[in-house]
Amino acid sequence: MKILLAEDTKDLNKVVTQMLEMQGFDVDSAFDGEEALKLALSNGYDGIVLDIMMPKLSGLQVLKEIRSRNILTPVLMLTAKAEVDDRVEGLDAGADDYLTKPFAMKELMARVKALTRRGSQYAAKELSFGDLTLKSESLELIASNTVRLSIKEFSLMQTLLLNQEHEVDNNYLIEHVWNDEKDASEETVWLYVNFLQGKLSYVDSNVEIKGHKGGPFRVVINE
Amino acid sequence: MEDSIYGNHREAMIDVMNIIMGSIDELRANMTEEHGSDPVEHCLARIKSEESMREKCRRQGLPETTESALEVIHDAIGIRVVCAFISDVYRVRDHLKAMDKVEVIEEKDYIKHAKPNGYRSLHLILKYDNKYYVEIQLRTISMDTWAALEHHIHYKKEVGEQDKLIIAELKRCADELASTDMSMQTIRDMIRNDI
Repeated sequence: MKILLAEDTKDLNKVVTQMLEMQGFDVDSAFDGEEALKLALSNGYDGIVLDIMMPKLSGLQVLKEIRSRNILTPVLMLTAKAEVDDRVEGLDAGADDYLTKPFAMKELMARVKALTRRGSQYAAKELSFGDLTLKSESLELIASNTVRLSIKEFSLMQTLLLNQEHEVDNNYLIEHVWNDEKDASEETVWLYVNFLQGKLSYVDSNVEIKGHKGGPFRVVINE
Repeated sequence: MEDSIYGNHREAMIDVMNIIMGSIDELRANMTEEHGSDPVEHCLARIKSEESMREKCRRQGLPETTESALEVIHDAIGIRVVCAFISDVYRVRDHLKAMDKVEVIEEKDYIKHAKPNGYRSLHLILKYDNKYYVEIQLRTISMDTWAALEHHIHYKKEVGEQDKLIIAELKRCADELASTDMSMQTIRDMIRNDI
């Protein structure tokens, strides 16, 4: 599980990073809003911890920007006690949880675990990209025509759409789509990418999955 | 005995039907040699029966004449080609369109654009030698399965609450079969191209 931590106070950043790593998370640390946004757009994360008060871009601006780009990764905001309006605005802008400073490290760890357990999968009933719509309740893949996907095909399509801003590598897919099943391999991923490529062309969509056997993969819109 | 609605054209119509079937057989033989598998699962051809042609004329408010049967109505000669895979459907279509003396009158791709009820098929109306219309339906085995089973289920096509559910569920079946169809083709392609 991979976490993005954005916190400009160096000491706090360091302590939280170490604690998260001790819990078994991979952590990318950012020290300002701009860096956080850049990382969020170029990698897939299982959770993001965002401080509200940061230089260059505030946590709220980062949150609004990533949500506007269809990135549904669960987000926990860190706010100061006085910032009630910020907390409300954060939740309205798509934050999943918040914690006020100062906080107990134990509580932050528990909340991050809860956040990543929930996952982002259930957040969106419908994902759109180009002329394509993916519906989570019916597993329908829709463009000018409709097909019903299998669970794994759906989950792979969803993961690629949620990471539309950047490439996704094989390991990430094996971890998130196949839950690290021991039979899942590069071959498995490649077969399912091929299934989806076939189905995208069958529904006559302008969306395509780019990538070769072994990954990485990315969805693109053909104009 | 009443004169045939087809006048004295029946034999010429059978000839046209046989020429097209023969050409499909040729393609099958060539593709079998090239890939080791026959793209066509089965093929049916028929001249619409005297009775159903007259019934169709009446239904459409046309006089029961040879002109109605051969010029206005286009399915006096009908051929259904059931293919193994989706890509085979398009191979057969391309072959038919490129045949000598064949003019394409109409092409409707209900595979790329399925009907709202889920029906999938590729419909061609050809005119052979500037004389006879031929209606051709091309589809895969699983599209054919759906169409055949749907035909067996006698449900009302008007819209009550119960019917809406049935129509939606039949469409779901069609979309699931379509998905499986594409998966089977992907597997075939993977093996063939060793990707």
